[in-house]
Amino acid sequence: MKKLKKLEVLWITLIAITLFNTSLGESFDSTVLVSTIIALTTMFKGMMIIDHFMELKEGNKVLRIMMRGYFFIFPMLIIITLMM
Amino acid sequence: MTNLQTNKSLGIFPPSWSEKRAGRIPGNVPIWVGILSELTEFGIFFVAYFVAKINYPEIFAEGPKQLNTFIGISNTLVLLTSSYFMAKAMSYIRRDEFKKCEQFLWLTFFAACSYLCLKTWEFTWNDAQNIHTNTSQFFTVYYYMTFNHFLHVGWAACAILWVIFRLRKGAYNSKEHSGLEALAVYWHMIDLMWILIFPLLYVLR
Repeated sequence: MKKLKKLEVLWITLIAITLFNTSLGESFDSTVLVSTIIALTTMFKGMMIIDHFMELKEGNKVLRIMMRGYFFIFPMLIIITLMM
Repeated sequence: MTNLQTNKSLGIFPPSWSEKRAGRIPGNVPIWVGILSELTEFGIFFVAYFVAKINYPEIFAEGPKQLNTFIGISNTLVLLTSSYFMAKAMSYIRRDEFKKCEQFLWLTFFAACSYLCLKTWEFTWNDAQNIHTNTSQFFTVYYYMTFNHFLHVGWAACAILWVIFRLRKGAYNSKEHSGLEALAVYWHMIDLMWILIFPLLYVLR
């Protein structure tokens, strides 16, 4: 039961972050602050899916590092390209 | 290493990556070879996006404003929900609740079909706005990424049907469900790629 409840909370959180990000992007120009918030929340969403939906939190460490690394590098590129 | 062990790990990864030393591999090794290959492919698309954005900042600032954000966000919500359905299906197979597992697999399949319909509507809407692959550098990257992702959702949806067929044949239970789990991790990978694509193409200006 606990596991099922956890999935529901995670799903609602991911939906809420998506709606927040979209309203942020629609309401403001992509300043460094806005883009950083969007990049960090995108990173967070990815990490949640990797850890809880893909179940890598208690799974293979190498796969978890690779997946989390991927979701660190590309959102970070959002911030880096803004500064270039 | 015995023949059996070699076959299970495909013998292509270093021993430090093995389940014994690094932890359980969700699904199976072959699906992770596929997933890492797909991530590399999408990674090349993302690098192309950032290189193009650095070179054409104004075009990439204007591009997202011409897209239908409503369809974009609907796609995101549908895919996130489909991942939730898939995770529920996994929870139920672990309890040997086959009917509920099948119900959630069907829900995942319908979510996948909804995504494909929404994307088709979006491509048609774009066409009506005179937006094509060669409209600008932004739209070239947009079509490369989104059409490629569309194809992945399409064949993964077919795989869901195959897994439902196997489930009905009694191939999965609480002890052995690696095939179903392999599909689940692949499906989550598709969701992950959209989670990156969505802000890049629809949100950031």
